[in-house]
Amino acid sequence: MEHKAWSLGAVLLEDSIMEKGKPATAGSKILEGFTAPFDAAAVERLRERGVPVAGRVGMPEFGLPDLSGRGPESAPEAVEAVAGGKAAFALCNDVFGLYRSFAAPRGLCYLRPTYGTVSRYGLIPTAASMDQIGILCRDPREGLALLSVIAGNDRRDGAMLPGAAYRYEAPAASPVVTHFDPQALTVAARQAAVILGSAELSGNLSRYDGIKFGYRAKDYKNLGELYTKTRSEGLGLPAKLAVILGTTVLSRDYYEALYDKSLRLRRVIRNWLLGLLEDCDVIELPFDTLADEPGTHALAPLAGLPSLTCCGKNGGVQLLAGAGGEAALIKAWEEARQ
Amino acid sequence: MPDIRDYEAMAKLELTDEERKWVSSRLDKIFESFEEMDDVNVADVAPLVSVLTPGNVLRDDVAERPVAREELLGRAPAQYDGYFEAPKTLE
Repeated sequence: MEHKAWSLGAVLLEDSIMEKGKPATAGSKILEGFTAPFDAAAVERLRERGVPVAGRVGMPEFGLPDLSGRGPESAPEAVEAVAGGKAAFALCNDVFGLYRSFAAPRGLCYLRPTYGTVSRYGLIPTAASMDQIGILCRDPREGLALLSVIAGNDRRDGAMLPGAAYRYEAPAASPVVTHFDPQALTVAARQAAVILGSAELSGNLSRYDGIKFGYRAKDYKNLGELYTKTRSEGLGLPAKLAVILGTTVLSRDYYEALYDKSLRLRRVIRNWLLGLLEDCDVIELPFDTLADEPGTHALAPLAGLPSLTCCGKNGGVQLLAGAGGEAALIKAWEEARQ
Repeated sequence: MPDIRDYEAMAKLELTDEERKWVSSRLDKIFESFEEMDDVNVADVAPLVSVLTPGNVLRDDVAERPVAREELLGRAPAQYDGYFEAPKTLE
């Protein structure tokens, strides 16, 4: 298939997305000195289509906010860079709402694709069941154009939607939009996302042991001490909090009451959203920051559904659609502006 | 919230006193917020580990080496004679 030459501007890469031969640390000292041995699948696709990569941007360690709900005071570097005009886009992995909560107040949009449509091969993982490379941009229509470049099946990622390519065709009719006010389930969604996210992160971060790559402590007497000192010196405080929380919710004392319950809640929340989407194409949710209750930003990652966060009344708006409904999100956004 | 030191050990971490105070205070707040989940009854619902249910995805049974051994070993903090080097585990 012939494509038009790319003319929508350059892309910044968050430091968790690997580019062969370049440092990739996911914002952590534990990956100090690590250079990527290969390109991420998303980067391969950018290069194949001739989309220029403007460079790399730093990030909070593994994209983590303070999970106790005290949001960070400053915006991530990618948000400042795109808002400041350094590039038209940034690719980021927003699991916990960090980018989305800062994008809208800066006049930017964040398009979080359907889970399993952008390969995670070459993405340094945070929480595997919610990791999904998304697009920070100024104009969601341009974000959708970039999504059509980076999305597509990749057998190197074991959790992808079937089908070689995903097409984003705008629906002919106006999308039906339902406005939704949060309820108790949305509050619970936030807690479930914190529990599942920290549990998966604690497993993912177990690979950082000072043996195979990255940082290694200087002074140790034996293997156990090497592990503990390396991780204690290499991980920052928010990551330590997340790892200890994740270890706790996976432990025998809390597994059933917290981890297992969160997995069940995920099904309830996904079914509830899919039920709402039987009567509409797009759900409009209130925008919230990391410090706000109830935490509607947790819904899309938990349910694996696409969302668009952008500026609007009361600080911003979040739109959520069914799987593969990215074009409906953009059309709903366009029609709301008119 | 139980003794945080037990979980530090499981996670192969050792916090300083100051860090432990910081982490403990936040864990208390986080565990308090988990009580908000009590309002939702999920007893009759099966857990959902992943939103994708395509089954097991298998590739052809052909050996591949996407990254050369030397490339990976070259990223280790220490290597010896073609292996990752670590402190001895048996005395």
